[in-house]
Amino acid sequence: MVGSRFPRGSTIPYSSTRERFLSNSYEQASDLELARRAHEGDESAFEEIMRRYSPRVFRFASRFFRQRSVVEEAAQEVFLKAFTELGSYEGRGSMEGWLTRITTNTCLNLLRSSKRRPELTVSDLTEDESTWLDNHMADAATERHESSERSSAAADLAGRVLQTLSPDDQLVLTLIDGEDASVKEVIEMTGWSASKVKVQAFRARRRMREAVEKLLAPKSRAGSKHGSASN
Amino acid sequence: MKDKHIISLLESAPLAELSESDLSAVRAHAGECAGCRQAFEAAQIAALLLKGRAAETLEPSPFFHTRVMATLRERQTTNEQWAWSRMWRAAGALASSMVATVAALAVLTFAIPSQVTTVTPETTALSAYSAEEVILDGESDDQASDGQVLTTLYGAEEDR
Repeated sequence: MVGSRFPRGSTIPYSSTRERFLSNSYEQASDLELARRAHEGDESAFEEIMRRYSPRVFRFASRFFRQRSVVEEAAQEVFLKAFTELGSYEGRGSMEGWLTRITTNTCLNLLRSSKRRPELTVSDLTEDESTWLDNHMADAATERHESSERSSAAADLAGRVLQTLSPDDQLVLTLIDGEDASVKEVIEMTGWSASKVKVQAFRARRRMREAVEKLLAPKSRAGSKHGSASN
Repeated sequence: MKDKHIISLLESAPLAELSESDLSAVRAHAGECAGCRQAFEAAQIAALLLKGRAAETLEPSPFFHTRVMATLRERQTTNEQWAWSRMWRAAGALASSMVATVAALAVLTFAIPSQVTTVTPETTALSAYSAEEVILDGESDDQASDGQVLTTLYGAEEDR
């Protein structure tokens, strides 16, 4: 049972001088020590774990979801799960890796439960997304593009294209092609076999490319018509 | 390599991880094959989209920790209530089964009257037969009194 570990009506951390003093010891405590204390019902120890790792969990979850509310929901679920499973954390691997595994599984479950978009067509694109695509089509033809350009239109469009793929495809593309994770790292995060990761990545790339091609085809036709007319 | 379609090469690894020789083969083939050129452009756009998405990050809100702790406490309370209600339900079932057992025992003990044996000729005959057996059986002599034996024998004859 989750609850009985926490004493009812416990004080808010850092609210008194004594706790502020104790907070220093929490900051210096190892992850394993914090996990042990939190498992025994120490709220402040668990808060310290959240303080250390919530930015990382948030960043990771935001790779899969665009809406802040969904990212928050995922991150919250990660920490609630982590709390119930603190007893299983033995400090063999890093806490970051342990939490990343929980985050991956949580995000995958959320992706599986969310509605999948059947197909994305050019008419579904916003003006920003359409402009971004036009600009980068020309760049792609000449191979002039910055690799990690920060663009909310690109991020939105990527999210919409990914939504047409299966949750497993989304996961593997986001991790390997987006986050530059190695096959070994994906195996550790998901528990999948090496062959499953490789095959999934191969097929996911094809499906992503085909989805993008569907968006590009009408634009290239329009471009070639425009080009021939001007000639 | 120029004649070989390069689509499978595009799918074998992230575009950024393709070797320079692979990329030059892709470019050479894409220059001559319209289908592969389109696929190469789409692969580049897809790679850009994924990188663009990776560049966007969200930070936790200042109230995130408070909200998680509140949810944790809420779940704790719900779990406690659930455990108590489950215990009460179990205790209720146990108590009601005990009451039912006591009631059944009370009915068996007090409510059902004790059975009265009525003497019928058939039973007397059987008794007589039994009595004769008792008389003949030497071991039973000690247990049956003479009066009982006579009553059984003559009583049976009178009935006949």
